[in-house]
Amino acid sequence: MRQVIEDSTAAGRDGAGGRDASARRAEQREQRVSTGLLELERWLTDQIRQGIAGTKAAGHAHWDDVARRLVDAQAPGVAGAVARLGATLSGEDWPGRLLGEYGLLYLLTAAYRGRAGLPADLVRTVRSRIGFPVTREEVLAGAGVRDVWDVLGLRDEEQDRLIARRVWLRGRRTGRSALVLSFAPPGRPLDATLATGTAVDADLAFYAGAVPLRALVAARHAAPYAFTGPPPGTGPAAALGEVAAALAGDPWLESWPLVLSGVVPTRDGGADVRDGGADAGEAGWMLADASGEGLALHPGAGAPWTLVATSGGAPVTVAAEWTPWGLVPLTTWDEDGRTVVV
Amino acid sequence: MTARTVWEDLLSAALIGTDRRPSPGADGEPAAALLSAAAAEEVRRRAGRRPRRGEPLPPAAPEERPLVPEAAITRLTAVLGGDRVRLLPEWLAAAAGRERRLPPYLLPALLDHGVRDRSIREHLGVLAGRRGRWLAGLNPAWAYLAEAPGGGDGGAGERMWEFGSRGDRVRHLRELRETDPGAARDLLASAWDRETPGDRAAFLDVLRSGLSPADEPFLEAALDDRRREVRHRAADLLTMLPGSRLARRMAARAARCLGRDGDGFAVNPPSACDPPMERDGIRAAAPGGSGRRGWWLQQVIARTPLGFWPGHLGLTAEEITAAELGDWSREVRVGWERAAVLQHDAAWARALFAREPLADLLAVLPAEERAVRAAEVVRGHAVDGQLIMLLGGVPGPWGPPLAKAVLNTIVETLAVQPWNVGELARMAAERVDPALAGLVADLSDDAVVQNVAETLRFRDEMLKELQ
Repeated sequence: MRQVIEDSTAAGRDGAGGRDASARRAEQREQRVSTGLLELERWLTDQIRQGIAGTKAAGHAHWDDVARRLVDAQAPGVAGAVARLGATLSGEDWPGRLLGEYGLLYLLTAAYRGRAGLPADLVRTVRSRIGFPVTREEVLAGAGVRDVWDVLGLRDEEQDRLIARRVWLRGRRTGRSALVLSFAPPGRPLDATLATGTAVDADLAFYAGAVPLRALVAARHAAPYAFTGPPPGTGPAAALGEVAAALAGDPWLESWPLVLSGVVPTRDGGADVRDGGADAGEAGWMLADASGEGLALHPGAGAPWTLVATSGGAPVTVAAEWTPWGLVPLTTWDEDGRTVVV
Repeated sequence: MTARTVWEDLLSAALIGTDRRPSPGADGEPAAALLSAAAAEEVRRRAGRRPRRGEPLPPAAPEERPLVPEAAITRLTAVLGGDRVRLLPEWLAAAAGRERRLPPYLLPALLDHGVRDRSIREHLGVLAGRRGRWLAGLNPAWAYLAEAPGGGDGGAGERMWEFGSRGDRVRHLRELRETDPGAARDLLASAWDRETPGDRAAFLDVLRSGLSPADEPFLEAALDDRRREVRHRAADLLTMLPGSRLARRMAARAARCLGRDGDGFAVNPPSACDPPMERDGIRAAAPGGSGRRGWWLQQVIARTPLGFWPGHLGLTAEEITAAELGDWSREVRVGWERAAVLQHDAAWARALFAREPLADLLAVLPAEERAVRAAEVVRGHAVDGQLIMLLGGVPGPWGPPLAKAVLNTIVETLAVQPWNVGELARMAAERVDPALAGLVADLSDDAVVQNVAETLRFRDEMLKELQ
């Protein structure tokens, strides 16, 4: 589930005089969300009681009403997740993927219902997944993390009729990963201040949560400069460990930045170690270490020709975005140390 | 119970519905319990994924050539990104001439361009280096690169001929043909029957250079090849040898088709296309819309040595091309035009060009003359499709006479038909000698002319970077 674009103007605009009104609005929203999620929970269990075998035939329209009601219930995060359920129907393994998504949605409703017994940071994660807004001011009020941040790569995608730019950073000293989001209407220029292959000495303010990842640039201490050569990375096994640790804190996580070093883009052998076999694509690609073991690329990302060309069959460092369905490669570094966007 | 069966049990219960099949061992409401268990399993699956096993690729061989200079790479990246992308072929040609190599990360985009644009494949063959060949071997869409000459590995000759790719072998044969034409032909003949049809056709083209009567028996035998493409190429080459048996057979046919009738001419197209004609490269089936007899006539004339006509008709090439031939004049004219191109006959091409300014005829003339003739046509010719086609046949860089003629036409047309200069201006920008940028800029303040000058400056810098 993606984090939602928060409506930073809704709250915080009222002066001291409007405090009561804003508290009342917040109370009202809590109530609406609560009702909306209870309804979603009933809908989900109803699906499971009746069986999901016929869902594919029902098609994408199946979820439209549910998503719309969640928008009305002011839970845009869950609404978006429901609206994207149609994507699960494309593969052979659609019942498994759909059940997985239903399970995670149920987990979110259950977590919200039982929030009183959860740690505060996890509650923040749950609320952010649901779509409760967090203002810039609230984020910037938290303690900043100063580091020299390597810009590992970025990806633009359309989201709610806006182009969302997702920039992945990693701190040199702290080793922390960060995601900086920016938005622009289609056709308008996107924020280009964080360029792939540059490093910036800055304070990042993280959105609070069980696994803080999204951040704002709170302050810059120097102009960004281009770094040469790859940033430090890990092998596939350690990278999987990193992902597992992040998922342990935020089970709804759907992307996480990785820097894999010493990997070679190779054809996926189709030897599927995991259960399920959702992405055992014969024609797929993967990033393998010297022993030939590694991580599959996202089947939707296409053949990674630029990456293959840069590697020439030799080990390279690759910055990639982990997703539950495979890696999306972002950046690599060629033998002359040049940053190559893939 | 293994993890696999836990998930599978959950999934089959979910598919059918817990109303009909309650999930095993669940406490509480069955559907809610199933969803809880599914969430736990899903997160476990995502977090517990293990590495997969891949099939390693054989590593690419190390490169020998130096990279193109850094500034040139920056400009190439801009061109590939859409800044004057039409200059890409010129960039590639200039870089290939310097025996450099491209940085690997740019290869996929360039190889994709080569899929659409055959004209750049030869340059890519040089610039892609070993990495490019390795990469092209992984993607069938780029397989053309293996056939492009100019890999530049310069391996040992005989070995290259035995084991090289088609492109390598063509290159080897071409080099041998330049030093010892007979040896190249004998090498080709030695394993002729074992070559694939595609290879046979590609190799025949190599014999075009250094062609001599000594090649005639080999080519005459190739007229009986199983593959039509090979037969036609052999016939094309034999047409260039006026003393060949094919040329004599064709001249005999031509004599029956076209002769003098008093002061005039008698044209009598073939009434049939018999097997011997087909063997000599005449295609029996006419392209849609044209009559068969005229089509045969045109082909017979195209394959008849042009030197036959002055003796046969008692006239010079200029007189012949100016003659009025009546009903079949179009077919005869096209036949001669094709003959002039096929036989690389500059005198006939010049005479025919005076009647009909075709780009193909221009290509037969020496380079300096091409520009002069093209400039003559440009002056006093409206800007139309024919003019564009003609200029398309004049490769750059255009020197002052042609550049002046074209730019004057642009300036004149801007005054009356400004909407009509786009393609001509683009062509000028791409082909005029970039050293003339300053002169062009002084011609007019119009944005079109200034844009041409701007692109010329861009090309000037581009070519300097590649030095």
